[in-house]
Amino acid sequence: MTAEGGKGSERKRFFHEELEDSILEASLENEDSFLFQQPDANGAQPKEDDEIEKIKNVIPDLTYSQASNLLKRAEAVDLHGERISTAVDLYFESSPTNYKSSHPSSVQKAMQPSPAHSSTESPKPLNMSITTPTKRKKALEGSSHKKRKHTIEWRRFIGALQVNALATRPTTKPLQYGTKLEIIKNLSDNPASRLYTSNGKKKASMANYVRLFHPDSRREVGRVPENIAQILFPLADTDELEFEATMVFCDNKRLSVGDTFIVQLDCFLTSLIFDKTEVRGENKFSQEKRSFSQAVVESDDELEMRSRRLALLALFDQVHMRPHVDGVDIITNSSEKEVIDLEDDSTGEDIDSITNKDHTIQNTQIQQDVLDLKQLKSFYKSALSMESSKILPETTPPPEVFKLDLRPYQKQGLTWMLRREREFDLSPSVGSAEDVDGNMMNPLWKQFSWPRDLSWTTQRLEVQQTIQKSEAQLFYANLHTGEFSETKPVIKSMLKGGILADEMGLGKTISVLAMISMVPFDVKYDEKRRIEENDDVVITDQVFLNGNIVGSKPYASKTTLIIVPMSLLSQWQQEFDKACRDPSMRCEIYYGSNISNLKTLLTRTKTPPAVLLTTYGTVQNEWSRSLSQSNTGLFSVEFFRIVIDEGHTIRNRSTRTSKSMMDLTSSRRWVLTGTPIINRLDDLYSLVKFMKLEPWSQVGYWKTFVSEPFEKKDYKQAFDVVSSILEPVLLRRTKQMRGADGKPLVELPPKEVTIEKVKFNEYEDKLYKYFLNRAENSVKEGLARGDLLKKYSTILVHILRLRQVCCHVNLLGSQDENDEDLAERKGFTENVNVSNLIGQNDKPSGFTDDEFKIVLNDINDKFPSDDSLRGLECSICTSEPIDPVTQVLFTECAHAFCENCILEYIKFQGEKNQKPKCPNCRHEIDLKRLLSVKESGGKLSITLYDNSSRSSKICALLKDLKRLQEACPGEQIVVFSQFSSYLDILEAELSSSFSSSSAKIYKFDGRLSLKDRTRVLNDFGVKDLTRLKILLLSLKAGGVGLNLTCASRAYMMDPWWSPSLEDQAIDRIHRIGQINNVKVTRFIMEHSVEEKMLRIQDRKRSLGEAVDADEEERRKRRIEEIQMLFE
Amino acid sequence: MASLPKRIIKETERLVSDPVPGITAQPHEDNLRYFQVTIEGPQQSPYESGVFELELFLPDDYPMEAPKVRFLTKIYHPNIDRLGRICLDVLKTNWSPALQIRTVLLSIQALLASPNPNDPLANDVAEDWIKNEEAAIEKAREWTRLYAKPK
Repeated sequence: MTAEGGKGSERKRFFHEELEDSILEASLENEDSFLFQQPDANGAQPKEDDEIEKIKNVIPDLTYSQASNLLKRAEAVDLHGERISTAVDLYFESSPTNYKSSHPSSVQKAMQPSPAHSSTESPKPLNMSITTPTKRKKALEGSSHKKRKHTIEWRRFIGALQVNALATRPTTKPLQYGTKLEIIKNLSDNPASRLYTSNGKKKASMANYVRLFHPDSRREVGRVPENIAQILFPLADTDELEFEATMVFCDNKRLSVGDTFIVQLDCFLTSLIFDKTEVRGENKFSQEKRSFSQAVVESDDELEMRSRRLALLALFDQVHMRPHVDGVDIITNSSEKEVIDLEDDSTGEDIDSITNKDHTIQNTQIQQDVLDLKQLKSFYKSALSMESSKILPETTPPPEVFKLDLRPYQKQGLTWMLRREREFDLSPSVGSAEDVDGNMMNPLWKQFSWPRDLSWTTQRLEVQQTIQKSEAQLFYANLHTGEFSETKPVIKSMLKGGILADEMGLGKTISVLAMISMVPFDVKYDEKRRIEENDDVVITDQVFLNGNIVGSKPYASKTTLIIVPMSLLSQWQQEFDKACRDPSMRCEIYYGSNISNLKTLLTRTKTPPAVLLTTYGTVQNEWSRSLSQSNTGLFSVEFFRIVIDEGHTIRNRSTRTSKSMMDLTSSRRWVLTGTPIINRLDDLYSLVKFMKLEPWSQVGYWKTFVSEPFEKKDYKQAFDVVSSILEPVLLRRTKQMRGADGKPLVELPPKEVTIEKVKFNEYEDKLYKYFLNRAENSVKEGLARGDLLKKYSTILVHILRLRQVCCHVNLLGSQDENDEDLAERKGFTENVNVSNLIGQNDKPSGFTDDEFKIVLNDINDKFPSDDSLRGLECSICTSEPIDPVTQVLFTECAHAFCENCILEYIKFQGEKNQKPKCPNCRHEIDLKRLLSVKESGGKLSITLYDNSSRSSKICALLKDLKRLQEACPGEQIVVFSQFSSYLDILEAELSSSFSSSSAKIYKFDGRLSLKDRTRVLNDFGVKDLTRLKILLLSLKAGGVGLNLTCASRAYMMDPWWSPSLEDQAIDRIHRIGQINNVKVTRFIMEHSVEEKMLRIQDRKRSLGEAVDADEEERRKRRIEEIQMLFE
Repeated sequence: MASLPKRIIKETERLVSDPVPGITAQPHEDNLRYFQVTIEGPQQSPYESGVFELELFLPDDYPMEAPKVRFLTKIYHPNIDRLGRICLDVLKTNWSPALQIRTVLLSIQALLASPNPNDPLANDVAEDWIKNEEAAIEKAREWTRLYAKPK
């Protein structure tokens, strides 16, 4: 407001006009008599006199007693032993209100209502600036004596507002520029209930109760707009904030009713608002929990609190106080930890760095507030653990207990885990728990920086900014509760455990096993127990476990319970055997029935197993039963540690599996998951709840601060809160992250995913068109009538049919076992009679009965014995003999070929628009006039070849596999499909196409028993250089956890809606341990629904699946997808 | 490079272990689908005692598609043009996957023995052949002496 050059004159003018009236002396000398002399009487030291002189040198207008008083106050406030400068600061900070304003005739006087006024209209002192002289005296008195705590020791500017006020009374002359106006709440009795209805809605306009008064005439001048009144009304009569109103514009004319004039409203926070919150911390949470979980009617007090809170929020919004971005906070922490520690920021050195920090703050405030979903996703994913991975030291597990070598980042992870378990002796260079939790700020609190003081008074006074330099540059506020603090509100969590959310393939299993081998049992507990036995003193568990949740359950202090999906059970056991060297550590698998009394085994025997492996199913099963009886099973003991692998399994907290997990007790809890969020933010809640991470495990708390903001599309807040909740307890590294050495954490061999487009054969094409036509009609109808939603599941069936035709016509009629939406419609069956659909002309046979007989005779004459059939040579691939014999296909001219060769030849000729001729004799041949060899019970017979069951996709796969078998016969191959019935067909097709000496085929899906799973995976893992090993893997059963790095080739037979599931499947082979280049081929039928599914996958990738909000949204999105499919 | 089908390996092995008289075929070190071929001129033909060099390439679709063969040695023949391209039905429309490198080369040898000027590729040569067969054969002999010297 003031030009730099005008400083000198401004200052002078100020002193002339406002101070040289000797206002201060006049008013304050009065007070000398009874107030200020007291300290002198008690014996003023000469030193003090000195200092008072000094102050008077700086501020010549002060009286002796004034200066003395200032000094006293400065002593009270001063933290740094510089009383004089503090006193001067105090003078300048508070002079307009505390000193100058006391003169009755001055302009400043206007700031106070007359005693009469305030007694009738505002019984409480509104704030310092509008306190009556008597009250102020009291306050001053208090400041030097006992009431110090409740006195405003300082105040700081947080912002100024330009307010368009409305004149309510005419004025006799124009209001002068710079006139101070009073803010008066003219509602004498103002319980909040008068302003709010019982449900918290605002009843009356607050603008009615907040008025601006002219200082001289004590007359009302105007009112402020409602939005400002809503701020002023609840806040103006607390001492925590101060407001100063200054007339800045009234068009220089008399105001008449209804005229607008502009007022500058300066807002200050006082020391009081910070005083109150010093002790607030965790205790506060417990109180609030109740109010969130119960629907209580708000009392007057609560209403007041609420309006105060809203007002604060509005105020901060209006003055553009913006919190710091958390990410920046983290970054600056590392380099300037000491500075942020507000306890000792008084040295000059620190001020420099604070100024530096201020720059960063400025920059970050420019950042946009609303991030789009994708950014949020990446923010969440990347920001979490980047920092920690650079800082964390490495822990190497002692080789005598742990056999394997850990990678550097795994060693860092181990350090982190040990710290999370509070095992500081084992992890290097860690001092205390503080380091573990870091400077984690309570997520509800926000960090603010004090703005430059632009208030009217300061501007006029030309007070240098430097006078405030002794104070912190930052403050913290919880705008949800209206709490303020000067020190950083740090959350300290007592939780032992965490979420290890490293991306798939980074070796979570190994990391956890390393931790278990280093800390296999509760050392402290065992020591205590030993002492207890020696001393023969009975101490209850609760005493030495010190707060751990120990009920009546016995403590299995030596056992870690690991809960894994069934498919991973044996893998965990193998990993354990590979990793753990200590012979005293055992790993046992628990199915529920194989150990009769778990409690006894774990708590009464000398050497209980160090690791107990079990499945989610077992726990859930036992949970259902343990409701009635729980004396021997998993729920009968408290474990030392529980680890849940693929922890996202429990994401839906209404499932029994999830509920059963919550009821298991242990003193340490770990969650392993590569994908902490599958569908929605709330997925995380279950994990938080499992870990018993207070206070967030309270559903009300989570709802209020995460779910609700998220639903209101306040993504930033929701994600901020989530990431600060998780920051201390979650470690996530991705394959792309780089370690301290700048190299990627994991260097995997390259992965090549190719899409192979396959053309329909004639038969499939007809069938596909038929189903497509039906589906399109149905969708069109649905769109036209607007009831697409109702027809949703019908349409899904249509789409399913199309997908099935793409895979294999024999799939038609079966259900999609993976589609939840379809599964809901129980009893869904549709008899698909394929041959009827295609019509009579398309009989599989191209022979007349007579023709067929002749050909059959020819062949039987030519090859009279089974042996001659088994010794045939294919002239196309030169295989001799054609093996297995079921691969033999005869042309009508009685020449034999491999099925694949001749079919490929016919197809090849067809593409060149040439009639296929027998390669051997050039007799014209036809797909429908071929004969095949059938084997049943060792006897061979020749029948008509039924081409309709051939799928183009399988042909493409077979062709590839054949080539592979020729080129590298020892290759291991994984073939994925989502349809387990398709796997069956594939199994049949593959085994009839490959002799057992050239390929071994395995099938792995949900129907496989645990024992068979282990056997299949073990067998598949052994390389056989003479033959292919082909694993048919169901996308769902094998999509997670399995380690198939022995294979480096994979085929995806059919696309799935969600790309992430496919990526996961690919990651089965493309993960740590893979040494070869990975090649993945995805078969996609050309011009089919599958091509469109690829487009949908792309869309999902770009939208970011993590924020796939609710059921409704999901359905809507799927309808969009359906439209995409049929456009 | 895509892996080599078993059939090609088999054929190559057989060409080496059981060569056709008067014909050699050597796969190239860097590309096993590329062969360097020599064919001796058949007896009683104008090409007798000449040794002709050819190149043979097996395309990716082999054996669905015919191999590509070309004369490298200059030859005066109505069915072989100046660029060495060969007009032979089994290399074009009459190809069958049951045919092999060996059979193709034999067919070429046979073509040398019995030129077919009625289905020409090199029109000028075919004209000479039809107008004055003796002169043409003499020219073919001369070319064989000039260009197809055994090494």
